[in-house]
Amino acid sequence: MSRVRITTLVAVGTPLLLGGLTAGAVVLARVNGSFEITVPLATVLVVTGALVSAGVWAGLGVRSALRAREEQGFAAGAQQEREAHRRFVARLDHELKNPVTAIRAALELDPDPSPSLGVAAAQAGRLANLIGELRSLSALETSAIERVPVDLAAVVRDETAAFSEDLEVRGSHRDIRVQLPAAPWPLPSVAGDADLLAVVVRNLLVNAAKYSDPDARIEIRGSEDSGFVVVEVADTGWGIPEAEQAHVWDELWRGDRARRVEGSGLGLSLVRIVAERHGGDVAVRSRAGSGTSVRVRIPTA
Amino acid sequence: MSDPRRPRVLLVDDEEAITSTLGPYLERAGFEVVVAADGEEALERHTESRPDIVVSDVLMPGLDGRGLVRRLRQSETWTPVILLTQVDEASERAAALDEGADDYLGKPFLPSELVSRIRAVLRRTIGGRPLSAANLLLSDSLELDRSGRRTRVDGRTVDLTPKAVALLDYLMAHPDEVHTREHLLSALWGFEFAVTTRAVDHRVAELRRVLGDDAQRPRWIETVPGAGYRFCGRVVQR
Repeated sequence: MSRVRITTLVAVGTPLLLGGLTAGAVVLARVNGSFEITVPLATVLVVTGALVSAGVWAGLGVRSALRAREEQGFAAGAQQEREAHRRFVARLDHELKNPVTAIRAALELDPDPSPSLGVAAAQAGRLANLIGELRSLSALETSAIERVPVDLAAVVRDETAAFSEDLEVRGSHRDIRVQLPAAPWPLPSVAGDADLLAVVVRNLLVNAAKYSDPDARIEIRGSEDSGFVVVEVADTGWGIPEAEQAHVWDELWRGDRARRVEGSGLGLSLVRIVAERHGGDVAVRSRAGSGTSVRVRIPTA
Repeated sequence: MSDPRRPRVLLVDDEEAITSTLGPYLERAGFEVVVAADGEEALERHTESRPDIVVSDVLMPGLDGRGLVRRLRQSETWTPVILLTQVDEASERAAALDEGADDYLGKPFLPSELVSRIRAVLRRTIGGRPLSAANLLLSDSLELDRSGRRTRVDGRTVDLTPKAVALLDYLMAHPDEVHTREHLLSALWGFEFAVTTRAVDHRVAELRRVLGDDAQRPRWIETVPGAGYRFCGRVVQR
């Protein structure tokens, strides 16, 4: 039994015990006379009300204390789980990198590789990329990130222009629109790492284009909302079925439809981690067959 | 290499699978290879065989890669060292560079990448204390206090973001060498896939703006079209 519960028991039980012992002594000593007192009804009502209030107050106090402890427990549990997950990824990375390095060196030793060795080399390369990506994610969770004022609107404009160019080069096309406020004032700065925030915008654009048909519309909107800069990337793409939406932020998770498209399943995890490391958050709205909107909130500087 | 002798590489890794595959690969690429399984053994082999360069893993039982670099540098031995690392935090890489390693390559790498790194490091080290082990680097009116992470132009302290300082540090410690954007990213940012290579362009733009360097007629940072960047000023240490 915990110390708190024993203390509570003693505190609650002692007056009762003392009262009982005194009553017993009075009965045994045969001095159990009557004690009469006249109290106005109003006073009785007030005192009763006060006692009930005190009881309810104490009860609520206990309940909220219990809830707080429970929540702390959950938070500590979630923290521990995240930490265990991070350690697992670090170990996985450590155990994979040496074999993959050795495989790649061994494969390159053959001066005249057969087609099947070529397949092995390509797959070893794929594993190497995956290890690099997992490692970057776990590094992101713990490493110190830069905190300088960043103009998120400029990042959005830059990344969108670069991304549109990339699409053109690949002979692909999407109807991309950027909407950033100029009135009543432009978006305020956020405090953070411009490179990582650029990656967030880029990954959202890549996803929007990857999981949509040619000529789908992609809208990038920036807004300010009570202490946050909000960037939303919305598309008229394939959408995500409701049952899958809760998993989109998990590492290596890929939706049924997404599995047909090349990718690692780490893009949105990265977006989430970067947003969280900046003190912000992420949210997704999607309807299968209609489209998807991903919203990222980053606190203003 | 102008030297007709095959450059000697001391390859240090506790994983036999690595040394037994990388060793022959390096030999085929024209190097003579000496193998050691940990830092202590590496110190012995270093004394016996006087290698031209050391390629060492970081995590090893006993004396690890960092410890090996420290011990070599403490005894005023300036043999260049490339660390094969999984260190991801840019700050840790920078710290290890401060300890006197010459370059980095993250596992898993392509063996051909290691060969080109070894060649690049051998080209720029001509004996003596390497720039990467210096505390203060000077190029004309540009002064970089590496331990204090302070940059001065014409004696005036200038304000740079931490990543811009790290980039300048790397470029100044590895002058006259073309660095691809990818290599600069993985050596400095540590995030190998996350960040696009344009992040490097942004920091170079910041450096040029703050240092007052003209991209068309650079005193310090030169863009090598289609390849990357090169520190073109003459660098001395103090």
